[in-house]
Amino acid sequence: MNKIHKINKNSPPIASLNSKNLLSIEGMNKLEINSLLDRADYFADLDPLKIIKTLNGYVILNVFFENSTRTRVSFELAGRRLGAEVINISVDKSSIKKGESLLDTANTLSAMKPNLLIVRHPESGAPKLFSDYLNCSIVNAGDGRHEHPTQALLDALTIRRRLGRIEGLKIAICGDILNSRVARSNIHLLTTLGVEVRCIAPPTLMPKGLENLGVNCFNSLKDGINNVNAIMLLRLQNERMSGTESPSKREYYRFYGLDEEKLRMAHHEAVIMHPGPMNRGVEIASSLADNEDRSLIKTQVEIGVAIRMATIEAVYNAQK
Amino acid sequence: MHKNNNPILLKNIRVIDASQNLDQEMNITIIDGIISYFENSKKKIPFNEKDFRFVNCKDKILSPGIFDLRVYLNETNNENVSILKNAAVNSGVLKMGILPFQKPLLDNPVMIEHLIEKTNFKNDKFFYPYGGATKELQGNEIAELGLMAEVGAIGFTDAPNCIQDSLVMRRVMSYAKMLEKPILQNPEDKSLAGLTASNSTTIQGEMNEGEVSTRLGLVGIPSCAEVMIVERDLRLAELTGVHYHVSNVSTKETIEVIMRAKLNGIKITCDTSPPYFSLNELELSTYDTSFKLSPPLRNEKDRIAVQNAIFDGTIDIITSDHKSMSNDTKILPFTSASTGASGIETLLPLTLNLLNKSDVSIMNILKKITLNPSKLLKVEIPKIRSNEKANFIIFDPNEQYLINKNLLQTSPTPFHGRPVQGKNYMSMINGEIVFDNFDLL
Repeated sequence: MNKIHKINKNSPPIASLNSKNLLSIEGMNKLEINSLLDRADYFADLDPLKIIKTLNGYVILNVFFENSTRTRVSFELAGRRLGAEVINISVDKSSIKKGESLLDTANTLSAMKPNLLIVRHPESGAPKLFSDYLNCSIVNAGDGRHEHPTQALLDALTIRRRLGRIEGLKIAICGDILNSRVARSNIHLLTTLGVEVRCIAPPTLMPKGLENLGVNCFNSLKDGINNVNAIMLLRLQNERMSGTESPSKREYYRFYGLDEEKLRMAHHEAVIMHPGPMNRGVEIASSLADNEDRSLIKTQVEIGVAIRMATIEAVYNAQK
Repeated sequence: MHKNNNPILLKNIRVIDASQNLDQEMNITIIDGIISYFENSKKKIPFNEKDFRFVNCKDKILSPGIFDLRVYLNETNNENVSILKNAAVNSGVLKMGILPFQKPLLDNPVMIEHLIEKTNFKNDKFFYPYGGATKELQGNEIAELGLMAEVGAIGFTDAPNCIQDSLVMRRVMSYAKMLEKPILQNPEDKSLAGLTASNSTTIQGEMNEGEVSTRLGLVGIPSCAEVMIVERDLRLAELTGVHYHVSNVSTKETIEVIMRAKLNGIKITCDTSPPYFSLNELELSTYDTSFKLSPPLRNEKDRIAVQNAIFDGTIDIITSDHKSMSNDTKILPFTSASTGASGIETLLPLTLNLLNKSDVSIMNILKKITLNPSKLLKVEIPKIRSNEKANFIIFDPNEQYLINKNLLQTSPTPFHGRPVQGKNYMSMINGEIVFDNFDLL
C-alpha cells in the first residue's frame, strides 16, 4: 500500500472561489486552486456517514447534453453527501432538434429555481453562455474541447496525495491534446501551480500555439517523458484512430501507447493517470493499467467525489 | 421618406468627388432635384437666399453615395428589400452589389431579371445583382453566365462559397473574361479549413487557428487557407486574362501575394470589410458569437497588415459584407451560432475611423467606398456638378457616438458599444431626398 501524503492535517475551511461559477481553470489563481485541493483532501478521508449535511434544501441540476456516467454519478454523489437535492437531466440531442434553443432549455430549468446547474455540453463555451443569462451558479462538467475543471482538480489532488507535492514536479500529458478538454484544464492548473508541463502528441493532434500556454511540446513520447514524475494519458476517440489524424491503432500504440519499456524513460517512481474510459492496447498497455504501484486510475475516480464536494460547497459559499 | 421639393441651398459644404478629383468648399443649390448653382463658397451668392430652404453645411461633406460592393439580401423575418433599402439610404449607401446567395439563389437569368425589376428605386438602379458562378453555388457546374450577363448580372461569384475545383474555376474565369465581367472569389481552402464533410466527422473550422483557438478549445482555420486559393487563382487569372477580384482579404500573406501580382500586371483587385481592419481574434475570448465571421477574425499582425494595405492602395475597396440575420441565431453556443454579421449601417463610420490612424486623405478613403466599386463593376455613377440630378450624400465626418445595436435596423453587429465618428445626414437619389436628418438639428 502506498503512503498517502496529506499537506493539511487539520480540517481546512470551505474553499474560497472568486466567482459563484466554476467555468474554467484558466483565470483561477493558486489560492483558489489550493483551497479546493485542501478541502477535497479533507473530504477524501472522511467517513461519508459522518459528513454534516450542510446543503439541506440546496437544489442541484445535473444537466448533461452529452453522455457520461462517471462524471455525472460523481457529481451526484458529491451533492448528496453534502445533503443537497440532485436531479439528473439528460438532454439528448433529439430534444434539442425539436427546435428549442439551448437558452430556452436553460431558462426553463432556471424557472424551477435550482441553486446550481452542473453542465456538460459538446460545444466549447456553452457553460459560459449559461452563466451569461442565468442567475444560478454554473459548474462546468466538460465543454467541447475547452475545459473540464473538476477533472484537472482531481488529477492534481491525486498526484499530491501520492507524491506529496505538486510544485516543482515534471508532468507529461500525452495523447489527443488537440481535442481534449482534460488536457487544457490540466495545462492551466499545473502551470499555475509551478509544474513543468510537457505535452506529447503526434503532430496531427497537437494544437497550434500550445507552447504559449507555458508548456513544452514533444512529438516523441520517449523524449517527452524523460524523467517525469507523472504521465497523464488522454483518451483517443475511436473515430480518430484511423483516417487523417492517426493512421491506425497499432501505429498509435507503437509510438504513443505507454508500456513498460517506454515507462523506463520516466522517473523510477513515476505514476500513470488516465481520465477514463481508457482504450487498453491503444493508449496504455493493459498490464500497466492494472499495476497498482504505478497506475492511479482508480484513485482518480475516488478522489473525484471529494473534489466535487469541495467544489459544490465552495460555489454554495460564494453565492452567499 | 421625406418629400421635399423646395429649393435647397447648401452653404459652405465640402464637396469631395473622386471621379472629378474635386475637393472644395462650395455653395450649392438644388432646384427641382437638379443641381443648379455649384460654385466655390468664396464667391458671392448671386441670388436671394431667402427663397431657399437653407442648410448650414459647415464641416459637412457632400460625396457621391456609397456603393457597397457586396451585400447579402437575406429575406427573412428580420430583413427584406424595404428594410435593407431603408437601412442603406439612412446610412449613406445608395447602390449595392447583391450576392447570389439567397433564397432562391441568383444563379439563373430569371432570378436576376426578377430582382432587378423588383428593386428599382426612384427610377434608379439600387441593387446590382451578381450571378452565381456555378449552379446552386456548389462549385461543380458552370452557371448560365452569358444569359445572366445579358439581363444585368454585374459579375460572378459563388460567395460565401469558394470555388474549390481548379478546372471549374478556370472555365468560369474564361467565360467571365469573354463576357468582360469580373469574377469575385471568397478565398478559403475548404478542406484545410475543415469545412468539407467527407474527410472528418467532427472537425469544423470555427475561428482563426492559433493560441486563442487553442485556449478556447475551438477548431482553428489556419490563415494560409486563404492565400493558397488566391495563389492558385492568380495562375488561372493569368491563363485566362479575367478580371479577378479577391473578396474579404483578411491575412498578411494574402496581401503580400496580391501586392506582387499587381506589380506583375495581373488584372486583380480586392476588398476587405470593417471587421478585418478594426478587430482581431482576441474579441472571441469570451465566446462572443457576434464575432463569428467568415473569414474568421485573424490576429493583430494581420489586422495591421489589412489596415496598411488600405492606406497603400493594395486593397481597392471597402465593403460591408452585410449579412443580416436574426439575433436568435447568435444566442447559441459558439459552434451552433450563425456566421456573419450585418454591416451596411456601420460601413461609413467605421471606414471614416481609418482617418484617425493615418494621414491618408479623406478622398482616398472615400474612393474605396464610392469610385472604386463602380469602376470594378463598370457602373456609371452620376457626377456631382451643375445641371446633374442630385445624387449624393451629406455626412458629418466628425460627429462622435457609440454604435448601439438597439438603434440599428439590421442585426447582428460585432461593433456594439464601439466609439466611432461620422454620421450620414442626407441622401438624395435622382433629385429626391430619401433621407434627411437635418430636420432634427
